Order: sequence, then C-alpha cells, then structure tokens
Amino acid sequence: MKGLRVAALLTASALPAATSMAEEIPVTMAGMAYAPATIAAKIGDNLALSNDDSEDHNVFVATVGHAVDLGTQKPGEARKLALAKAGRFEVECVIHPEMKAIVEVQQ
Amino acid sequence: MRRQLIVALAAGAAVAVAAPLFATPDRVKLPEAYKTDFVLYNHVDRPDRKRVRFMYVNPEAHAIAEPGKVLPEGTVLVMEDHEAAVSADGNLVLDKDGRLAPTDALTGLFVMEKRAGFGAANDLPPEKDNGDWDYAAYKADGSPNTEAKLENCFACHMSRSGRDFTFTYFKNVEDGLPK
Repeated sequence: MKGLRVAALLTASALPAATSMAEEIPVTMAGMAYAPATIAAKIGDNLALSNDDSEDHNVFVATVGHAVDLGTQKPGEARKLALAKAGRFEVECVIHPEMKAIVEVQQ
Repeated sequence: MRRQLIVALAAGAAVAVAAPLFATPDRVKLPEAYKTDFVLYNHVDRPDRKRVRFMYVNPEAHAIAEPGKVLPEGTVLVMEDHEAAVSADGNLVLDKDGRLAPTDALTGLFVMEKRAGFGAANDLPPEKDNGDWDYAAYKADGSPNTEAKLENCFACHMSRSGRDFTFTYFKNVEDGLPK
C-alpha cells in the first residue's frame, strides 16, 4: 500500500513533464530477471516495475545522474519510475546483483 | 532465580562474544571536513523514504582509484542523507530532470572505510565478510548513532562483493567518473 502511494506520488509529480505520447513500459522480475532486459524509452515515459517473483526485490540504479533506490518490493508489489532525463542507465537489484536491465531514454 | 541468573549470564556472554563482530564508530570516524574536502561523486534518490543521499569519497582514494580494480586501501565513503522536499499537497518535489529536490535537513550519516587489518579484526563469518571494509553510522549532529544496526551494512553490502562491496563508487569509477 505504501509502495503504491509512493508510486502514485511519483507519477503525479511527473505528469507536467509527460506528453500525450508518454507510455507506461511494463517491467517484470519473475525468475530473478528483469524483462525486458533492454528498454528503449523516451522522456515522459514511466517504467512500471512489478515484482511478479516469489521473493523480495529492490530496484536500484547507480548510474550518475540517474541514481535511485526504490526500496524493497515484496512479491506482488508494483512501483513506477518516471523517466524525465535522457541518457543510458543500468537497473540493478540491491538484493540480487545478477539482475540487470539497460534503459536508454531518448528525447 | 538461579535459572534467571543463568539466562542473564548467557545473554551477557552472548553480547560479549557478539559485540566485537561489528565495529563501532570508535574505529571508523566521521571525517570532519568531508563536505569541503571530499569529492561529491553521486546522489541517490530514495523516494520511498523521501530522502536524497549524497555520496562522497576522499580525494586521496579518488585520485588513484582505477576502473576494474579493487578500491585503494584508505578509501573512505560518506553517505549523507537529507529529507526530500515535499509540496503542500504532499507530493515529492522534482527538478527538471525528475530528480528529488533535497532540503537542508540532514537525517543521518553513514561512513564506510577500507583499511588493511579491518577485515581480520572483524573476524566475520563468510556470509558477512566484507574484506577490509568497516562501517559506522552518525546522527545528523555528527555524534555516533549507537542504535544503528551495523550488521545490516555488512549483510547488504555482501551482494556487491564483486565490486568491492560498494553499491555506487566502484561502478561509477568503472563508468568513467571524472577525476
């Protein structure tokens, strides 16, 4: 519930930057793997990160300029990451270092 | 009564044995001039906690850190947590790049330091052995945070054993962090 509220806050805050063409890009975590593992997006899009796995995950980005920690997601929880800045960054999991996805955000 | 005494003694013994396993702020100091002398190399948004984390490294280590190599002995990393700005309607305030806007309100400080011999002195089990790294937590006023559970630092940073137990700095150096 708290995670959903944070996601809602983030999404609401990002709305002014979004355009009518903005997309919500689903990202899953089943089997301890982000899918898709390579994501092409544009500014204004959102990543909808859902933990459809059987254990906790924690979305994390270390890349300078994009660094964020979304906190622990229990199985069944979903969070959103607003993409408001162009660039390339790597999505990791704090708990499982083998989980990685590459996100490329374009103007 | 006797049973209570035995339990109390056992608990005391457990504390005495467990205490040396995790360092206290006595060994890892908060560098006094980190805000002016250290390199601010990254900041991490933490929207679920409404925090922004500023990441600093000491300049001596940063000068010689190389991509793909373990970090130099003497590396000191400081993580400075600030409250994020929240608007009147309760939403997190974002800048033009969608990043959280930090306030001046400091909520806590965390330090990790790498020194030869720290690991041997820690004498941790393999699942918590962070090599020669040690950790400390400080309150916003700079006093030691004696309530911090430093064992959580060791446990969580284990997941990044492949990049010298750091979540950001080793990777940022690999990514070409400017000198």
